[in-house]
Amino acid sequence: MPCRIPESRLESVKTNNDHILAEELYQEFGAPLLRHVLRSTGGDLQWAEDVVQETLLRAWRNAGNLRRERGLLWAWLLTVARRVVIDERRRRGVRPRETEPPDADAVPAPDGAERALEAMLVSEALRQLSPEHREAIEQTYLRDRTIGEAAEILGVPPGTVKSRLYYGIRALRGILKEKGVAS
Amino acid sequence: MSAPSHDVHEDVAAYALGVLDEADHQAFERHLMSCEECQAELREMSEVPGLLDALRDDRSDTLSGDHTPR
Repeated sequence: MPCRIPESRLESVKTNNDHILAEELYQEFGAPLLRHVLRSTGGDLQWAEDVVQETLLRAWRNAGNLRRERGLLWAWLLTVARRVVIDERRRRGVRPRETEPPDADAVPAPDGAERALEAMLVSEALRQLSPEHREAIEQTYLRDRTIGEAAEILGVPPGTVKSRLYYGIRALRGILKEKGVAS
Repeated sequence: MSAPSHDVHEDVAAYALGVLDEADHQAFERHLMSCEECQAELREMSEVPGLLDALRDDRSDTLSGDHTPR
Protein backbone atom coordinates (compact mmCIF):
# COMPACT_ATOMS: atom_id res chain seq x y z
CA MET A 1 0.00 0.00 0.00
CA PRO A 2 1.34 3.40 -0.86
CA CYS A 3 2.45 5.34 2.14
CA ARG A 4 0.89 8.72 1.66
CA ILE A 5 1.84 11.98 3.24
CA PRO A 6 -1.27 13.49 4.84
CA GLU A 7 -3.09 15.79 2.41
CA SER A 8 -2.37 18.95 4.40
CA ARG A 9 1.37 18.22 4.56
CA LEU A 10 1.38 17.42 0.88
CA GLU A 11 -0.18 20.76 0.04
CA SER A 12 2.49 22.68 1.87
CA VAL A 13 5.26 20.59 0.42
CA LYS A 14 3.77 21.13 -2.99
CA THR A 15 3.49 24.84 -2.52
CA ASN A 16 7.13 25.11 -1.62
CA ASN A 17 8.14 23.05 -4.60
CA ASP A 18 5.60 24.34 -7.07
CA HIS A 19 7.86 26.75 -8.76
CA ILE A 20 10.78 24.38 -9.05
CA LEU A 21 8.71 21.46 -10.19
CA ALA A 22 6.89 23.42 -12.88
CA GLU A 23 10.19 24.72 -14.14
CA GLU A 24 11.81 21.30 -14.03
CA LEU A 25 8.98 19.80 -16.00
CA TYR A 26 9.33 22.49 -18.60
CA GLN A 27 13.07 22.20 -18.84
CA GLU A 28 13.16 18.47 -19.06
CA PHE A 29 10.14 17.76 -21.21
CA GLY A 30 9.14 21.01 -22.89
CA ALA A 31 11.26 20.74 -26.01
CA PRO A 32 10.88 17.01 -26.77
CA LEU A 33 7.17 17.24 -26.08
CA LEU A 34 6.81 20.17 -28.45
CA ARG A 35 8.54 18.19 -31.20
CA HIS A 36 6.13 15.34 -30.68
CA VAL A 37 3.04 17.47 -30.49
CA LEU A 38 3.97 19.36 -33.65
CA ARG A 39 3.41 16.13 -35.52
CA SER A 40 -0.12 15.77 -34.29
CA THR A 41 -0.98 19.41 -34.90
CA GLY A 42 0.26 19.11 -38.45
CA GLY A 43 3.04 21.61 -37.87
CA ASP A 44 0.85 24.27 -36.22
CA LEU A 45 3.37 25.76 -33.77
CA GLN A 46 1.01 28.03 -31.85
CA TRP A 47 -1.42 25.20 -31.24
CA ALA A 48 1.41 22.83 -30.32
CA GLU A 49 2.75 25.29 -27.77
CA ASP A 50 -0.67 25.60 -26.19
CA VAL A 51 -0.93 21.83 -26.01
CA VAL A 52 2.47 21.52 -24.34
CA GLN A 53 1.54 24.16 -21.81
CA GLU A 54 -1.76 22.51 -20.99
CA THR A 55 -0.11 19.08 -20.76
CA LEU A 56 2.63 20.22 -18.41
CA LEU A 57 0.07 22.07 -16.34
CA ARG A 58 -1.90 18.85 -15.92
CA ALA A 59 1.28 16.99 -15.06
CA TRP A 60 2.07 19.59 -12.46
CA ARG A 61 -1.42 19.31 -10.99
CA ASN A 62 -1.03 15.56 -10.82
CA ALA A 63 2.50 15.71 -9.51
CA GLY A 64 1.48 13.89 -6.33
CA ASN A 65 0.58 10.79 -8.34
CA LEU A 66 3.35 11.06 -10.83
CA ARG A 67 6.52 10.65 -8.86
CA ARG A 68 7.56 7.81 -11.10
CA GLU A 69 10.55 7.23 -13.19
CA ARG A 70 11.17 9.20 -16.32
CA GLY A 71 9.99 6.70 -18.93
CA LEU A 72 6.57 6.38 -17.40
CA LEU A 73 6.21 10.10 -16.90
CA TRP A 74 7.12 10.64 -20.54
CA ALA A 75 4.51 8.08 -21.65
CA TRP A 76 1.96 9.78 -19.42
CA LEU A 77 2.77 13.18 -20.93
CA LEU A 78 2.39 11.82 -24.45
CA THR A 79 -1.00 10.36 -23.65
CA VAL A 80 -2.24 13.56 -22.07
CA ALA A 81 -0.92 15.64 -24.97
CA ARG A 82 -2.73 13.40 -27.43
CA ARG A 83 -5.97 13.80 -25.55
CA VAL A 84 -5.57 17.56 -25.48
CA VAL A 85 -4.98 17.61 -29.25
CA ILE A 86 -7.88 15.29 -29.99
CA ASP A 87 -10.23 17.31 -27.77
CA GLU A 88 -9.27 20.53 -29.45
CA ARG A 89 -9.54 19.09 -32.91
CA ARG A 90 -13.02 17.91 -32.12
CA ARG A 91 -13.95 21.23 -30.58
CA ARG A 92 -12.82 23.03 -33.68
CA GLY A 93 -14.92 20.62 -35.64
CA VAL A 94 -12.06 19.75 -37.90
CA ARG A 95 -13.39 17.01 -40.09
CA PRO A 96 -11.61 13.70 -40.30
CA ARG A 97 -9.05 13.36 -43.01
CA GLU A 98 -11.16 10.99 -45.03
CA THR A 99 -13.38 13.87 -46.14
CA GLU A 100 -10.82 16.63 -46.11
CA PRO A 101 -8.39 17.29 -48.90
CA PRO A 102 -4.84 17.61 -47.60
CA ASP A 103 -3.50 21.09 -47.23
CA ALA A 104 -0.39 21.40 -49.34
CA ASP A 105 1.02 24.16 -47.13
CA ALA A 106 0.82 21.98 -44.04
CA VAL A 107 3.49 19.57 -45.24
CA PRO A 108 6.30 19.79 -42.72
CA ALA A 109 9.39 21.24 -44.29
CA PRO A 110 12.67 20.22 -42.62
CA ASP A 111 12.29 16.52 -42.08
CA GLY A 112 9.79 16.10 -44.89
CA ALA A 113 11.61 13.32 -46.70
CA GLU A 114 12.28 11.31 -43.58
CA ARG A 115 8.70 11.75 -42.52
CA ALA A 116 7.43 10.63 -45.90
CA LEU A 117 9.53 7.48 -45.70
CA GLU A 118 8.27 6.83 -42.19
CA ALA A 119 4.70 7.29 -43.38
CA MET A 120 5.30 4.77 -46.15
CA LEU A 121 6.70 2.18 -43.76
CA VAL A 122 3.94 2.73 -41.22
CA SER A 123 1.23 2.42 -43.82
CA GLU A 124 2.90 -0.74 -45.13
CA ALA A 125 2.98 -2.11 -41.58
CA LEU A 126 -0.71 -1.28 -41.13
CA ARG A 127 -1.54 -3.26 -44.24
CA GLN A 128 0.15 -6.30 -42.75
CA LEU A 129 -2.24 -6.33 -39.80
CA SER A 130 -5.42 -8.35 -39.79
CA PRO A 131 -8.35 -6.31 -41.13
CA GLU A 132 -9.94 -6.15 -37.68
CA HIS A 133 -6.80 -4.85 -36.03
CA ARG A 134 -6.19 -2.32 -38.76
CA GLU A 135 -9.78 -1.15 -38.63
CA ALA A 136 -9.63 -0.66 -34.87
CA ILE A 137 -6.62 1.64 -35.26
CA GLU A 138 -8.10 3.52 -38.19
CA GLN A 139 -11.49 4.02 -36.58
CA THR A 140 -10.09 5.34 -33.32
CA TYR A 141 -6.77 7.11 -33.33
CA LEU A 142 -6.51 8.01 -36.98
CA ARG A 143 -10.02 9.45 -37.00
CA ASP A 144 -9.82 11.14 -33.58
CA ARG A 145 -12.58 8.99 -32.20
CA THR A 146 -12.94 7.60 -28.72
CA ILE A 147 -13.45 3.90 -28.08
CA GLY A 148 -17.15 4.50 -27.44
CA GLU A 149 -17.66 6.29 -30.73
CA ALA A 150 -15.72 3.74 -32.71
CA ALA A 151 -17.61 0.88 -31.05
CA GLU A 152 -20.87 2.40 -32.18
CA ILE A 153 -19.67 2.84 -35.73
CA LEU A 154 -18.24 -0.67 -35.89
CA GLY A 155 -21.27 -2.19 -34.18
CA VAL A 156 -19.22 -4.08 -31.59
CA PRO A 157 -18.89 -3.67 -27.79
CA PRO A 158 -16.31 -1.16 -26.56
CA GLY A 159 -14.38 -3.98 -24.90
CA THR A 160 -13.94 -5.58 -28.30
CA VAL A 161 -12.52 -2.40 -29.78
CA LYS A 162 -10.10 -2.07 -26.86
CA SER A 163 -9.02 -5.64 -27.25
CA ARG A 164 -8.49 -5.36 -31.02
CA LEU A 165 -6.62 -2.15 -30.47
CA TYR A 166 -4.40 -3.83 -27.90
CA TYR A 167 -3.43 -6.74 -30.13
CA GLY A 168 -3.29 -4.49 -33.17
CA ILE A 169 -0.90 -2.01 -31.57
CA ARG A 170 1.28 -4.81 -30.26
CA ALA A 171 1.45 -6.41 -33.67
CA LEU A 172 2.08 -3.06 -35.32
CA ARG A 173 4.91 -2.33 -32.97
CA GLY A 174 6.45 -5.72 -33.72
CA ILE A 175 6.34 -5.09 -37.46
CA LEU A 176 7.73 -1.57 -37.07
CA LYS A 177 10.55 -2.96 -34.98
CA GLU A 178 11.40 -5.44 -37.71
CA LYS A 179 11.44 -2.62 -40.20
CA GLY A 180 13.74 -0.68 -37.93
CA VAL A 181 11.24 2.16 -37.50
CA ALA A 182 10.40 1.50 -33.86
CA SER A 183 12.92 0.78 -31.17
CA MET B 1 -16.08 -13.00 -14.66
CA SER B 2 -18.87 -13.32 -17.19
CA ALA B 3 -19.56 -12.58 -20.82
CA PRO B 4 -18.86 -8.99 -21.92
CA SER B 5 -16.03 -8.41 -19.50
CA HIS B 6 -12.59 -7.81 -20.89
CA ASP B 7 -9.15 -7.65 -19.45
CA VAL B 8 -8.42 -4.23 -17.96
CA HIS B 9 -4.78 -4.60 -18.93
CA GLU B 10 -5.83 -4.41 -22.55
CA ASP B 11 -6.92 -0.81 -22.03
CA VAL B 12 -3.27 0.14 -22.09
CA ALA B 13 -3.24 0.47 -25.88
CA ALA B 14 -6.30 2.72 -25.97
CA TYR B 15 -4.78 4.69 -23.13
CA ALA B 16 -1.47 5.09 -24.97
CA LEU B 17 -3.37 6.37 -28.00
CA GLY B 18 -5.38 8.76 -25.84
CA VAL B 19 -8.72 7.45 -27.13
CA LEU B 20 -10.33 6.11 -23.96
CA ASP B 21 -13.57 7.77 -22.97
CA GLU B 22 -13.08 10.02 -19.96
CA ALA B 23 -14.36 7.66 -17.24
CA ASP B 24 -12.31 4.77 -18.61
CA HIS B 25 -9.29 7.00 -18.96
CA GLN B 26 -9.41 7.91 -15.31
CA ALA B 27 -10.12 4.38 -14.20
CA PHE B 28 -7.22 3.01 -16.21
CA GLU B 29 -4.90 5.68 -14.91
CA ARG B 30 -5.66 4.62 -11.36
CA HIS B 31 -4.97 1.03 -12.33
CA LEU B 32 -1.78 2.02 -14.11
CA MET B 33 -0.24 3.60 -11.05
CA SER B 34 -0.25 0.26 -9.27
CA CYS B 35 0.31 -2.16 -12.15
CA GLU B 36 3.89 -2.63 -13.21
CA GLU B 37 2.97 -4.82 -16.14
CA CYS B 38 0.85 -2.08 -17.63
CA GLN B 39 3.55 0.49 -16.94
CA ALA B 40 6.05 -1.62 -18.84
CA GLU B 41 3.64 -2.08 -21.73
CA LEU B 42 2.80 1.59 -21.83
CA ARG B 43 6.47 2.47 -22.11
CA GLU B 44 6.83 -0.01 -24.94
CA MET B 45 3.79 1.26 -26.78
CA SER B 46 4.22 4.95 -26.25
CA GLU B 47 6.29 5.34 -29.39
CA VAL B 48 3.64 3.91 -31.73
CA PRO B 49 1.13 6.79 -31.77
CA GLY B 50 3.87 9.22 -32.79
CA LEU B 51 4.72 6.93 -35.68
CA LEU B 52 1.09 6.72 -36.69
CA ASP B 53 1.07 10.51 -36.79
CA ALA B 54 3.31 10.23 -39.83
CA LEU B 55 0.19 9.10 -41.67
CA ARG B 56 -1.62 12.28 -40.78
CA ASP B 57 0.99 14.38 -42.53
CA ASP B 58 1.09 12.11 -45.46
CA ARG B 59 -2.25 10.52 -45.80
CA SER B 60 -2.88 11.79 -49.29
CA ASP B 61 0.22 10.12 -50.66
CA THR B 62 0.16 6.87 -48.79
CA LEU B 63 -3.50 6.06 -48.68
CA SER B 64 -5.12 7.42 -51.79
CA GLY B 65 -2.01 7.21 -53.88
CA ASP B 66 -2.98 9.67 -56.59
CA HIS B 67 -1.39 12.85 -55.31
CA THR B 68 2.15 11.70 -55.86
CA PRO B 69 4.23 14.60 -57.08
CA ARG B 70 6.01 14.01 -60.38
